Amino acid sequence: MRQTAAALLQALARRDLAAASRILTDVLPVRLSPATVPYVLISPFVLLFLVFSLFPLVFSLYLAFHVWEPTDGLAAMTYVGIDNFRFALGDDWFWKSLGNTVWMALASGVPQHLVAIPLACFLNSGLGRGRDLAVGVFFLPYITSTVAIAILFSSLFSTDYGLINLALAHLHGIPLLGTLLPAQPVDWMGRPENIKPAISLIVFWRYLGFNVVLYLAALQTIPGDLYEAARMDGAGWFRQFWFITLPSLRPMLFFAVTLSVIGGLQLFEEPFILTGGKGGSDQAGMSTAIYLYRTAFDFNDFGAASAMSWLLFFLVAGLTYATNRAFRPRAGSQ
Amino acid sequence: MGQVTLRGIGKRYGSTEVIRGIDLEVQDGEFMVFVGPSGCGKSTTLRMIAGLESITAGELLIDGKVVNTLHPAARGTAMVFQSYALYPHMTVAENMGFALRMAGIGAAERARQVGRAAEILRITELLARFPRELSGGQRQRVAIGRAIVRKPSVFLFDEPLSNLDAALRVDMRIELTRLHADLGTTMIYVTHDQVEAMTMGDRIAIFHEGRLAQVGAPLDLYHRPANTFVAGFLGAPRINLIDCPSAHHALWQQWLQCQADRPSAGRAAPSRLGVRPEHLQVVPVGSGVPATVVMAEHLGDCSILHVQVAGIAGLFNLKSVRDSGTFAAGTLIGIAADAASVLAFDADGRRLA
Ligand SMILES: Nc1ncnc2c1ncn2[C@@H]1O[C@H](COP(=O)(O)OP(=O)(O)OP(=O)(O)O)[C@@H](O)[C@H]1O
Ligand SMILES: [Mg+2]
Repeated sequence: MRQTAAALLQALARRDLAAASRILTDVLPVRLSPATVPYVLISPFVLLFLVFSLFPLVFSLYLAFHVWEPTDGLAAMTYVGIDNFRFALGDDWFWKSLGNTVWMALASGVPQHLVAIPLACFLNSGLGRGRDLAVGVFFLPYITSTVAIAILFSSLFSTDYGLINLALAHLHGIPLLGTLLPAQPVDWMGRPENIKPAISLIVFWRYLGFNVVLYLAALQTIPGDLYEAARMDGAGWFRQFWFITLPSLRPMLFFAVTLSVIGGLQLFEEPFILTGGKGGSDQAGMSTAIYLYRTAFDFNDFGAASAMSWLLFFLVAGLTYATNRAFRPRAGSQ
Repeated sequence: MGQVTLRGIGKRYGSTEVIRGIDLEVQDGEFMVFVGPSGCGKSTTLRMIAGLESITAGELLIDGKVVNTLHPAARGTAMVFQSYALYPHMTVAENMGFALRMAGIGAAERARQVGRAAEILRITELLARFPRELSGGQRQRVAIGRAIVRKPSVFLFDEPLSNLDAALRVDMRIELTRLHADLGTTMIYVTHDQVEAMTMGDRIAIFHEGRLAQVGAPLDLYHRPANTFVAGFLGAPRINLIDCPSAHHALWQQWLQCQADRPSAGRAAPSRLGVRPEHLQVVPVGSGVPATVVMAEHLGDCSILHVQVAGIAGLFNLKSVRDSGTFAAGTLIGIAADAASVLAFDADGRRLA
């Protein structure tokens, strides 16, 4: 089998379809003509793509214009035109979920970049050997399962026994600073006004390392002699950062902010687990993705959920375009 | 003003000493060229003058003031990098005006000064472009322009022409020489190209393993090299050298004879003799020392013959202007050195006469 595969790869590398067809005919029950070989070989990918990507896409667009009782089978679909969209746009909870989503996307996304860029600069210049270790530590949350993170933070945010409240209680003892902090233990996940900040903090913490890695990669491609030239031109460290580093990071900034916009607006896992899949008290942690999930699977309204998902898609597309306009490099410089 | 003085300048990285004490006086307005083989410390020395590299020993003076620890921007030097180091996201005008902007000079005054520098370098029509929209030669001009705008008292160049093609290099060489004549500013120019060194420099400083092998006017170094290193480094093809073990060879005897003709010939017995290729002549087989042509390179204006002399290992180079087409490999010829052209060196490689 190994040998057959190796021989097949070699034949393909030579673009020798006749040889490839001979090899495949030996192992397959059917005879393949050389012309069909390429199609047979790419068919697994195409099939998976059709079944798991293209079909759901088309089906959700179709659903968005229908009402459907899934338990009654496919025949139970009724065409309703744009009623689902009209319903979504008139739905308070939909708007509320959008507000929540934008709130959390901004509160977790903006600090991600504001912290990741200076942090990457520091790691790039300051640390020498310890750098890889530090990057690994920052990156760890990104590759950790969301469920594990949610469980960890549930215990950290716990009202009576959580470490965060414990720390706040200790800090409260300090004069001046202490007066700014609450005296009572904070009910993080129970009170509506605390849910969004708590979730944003987790999302920020989780994706910070990912952004640091992106910016670090970009920083390492900036030629060192630009900084030497800037130094000779009289720029101190801040102006080197402002006039050399930041503009050089611009393409990566565009990429990373785009990922944050897309990821932030599709926020689902963290609030879903932390709020038990319901969106929390007063739906304060209900992102749009959670709401459309609930519309479909809790309220059984697949048509409205599909319509909302398309509305969300247009929002993501529009904001991505706006990001592109804001961050794309000056014409001619790239 | 732009007088640069190096007093016992040294540089070490950890335990490796890369510059081992350099004493050099670059006069105001002088065009000084640093040459030497790769890794000999030319760039390091230049970067210490610029302030981009710390000085670990000795004193650096600019116009009589010690500037060892002065910030690079405050030394009055401007550097042109081999890679140009243009800011990719700034236009040509912004690149050239960056130092002025850092110095807090207003936009109008900046535009005026940048415009004047651009005129000198004939790049006015490029001012609105970005570096990536320029050819290599144009980028080079912009890099020079960026240096000019700062009105430095010393220009520092680190192999500025090495990324250009041969024809452009010749043009830029001439242009830089003209620029130096126009501005009259001190320039220190690092190169490993000896044609650049010979043609551009008022004086050349030849580096060898972190030390100065010799400093002097180009033709002085060529005709009166201090040692075998300088003699071998300047001149292409390389100077022909033979060692004392060949003392009884006819060629040694012949060269010794020629060397004795030099008015400056000393009494000490040489242990090495050297003759430049253009001072070795082809003579009829009977006269001169017999030699066999191994290879002939015909360059059009001259021919370079690589010949073997029986009894001596290695080949000798002859540069002959006449009879260029007639020598094929295997031809038997006679060779003879020009009177007074032979250089003699002692056992340590120092020139005797
Ligand atoms: N940061 C460094 N750490 C250790 N050694 C260094 C460092 N920078 C340069 N060197 C050493 O210093 C010596 C001189 O380097 P330098 O760049 O000045 O050579 P150069 O004469 O400019 O050579 P080239 O013609 O190749 O540019 C070299 O042997 C190099 O290995
Ligand atoms: Mg160098």
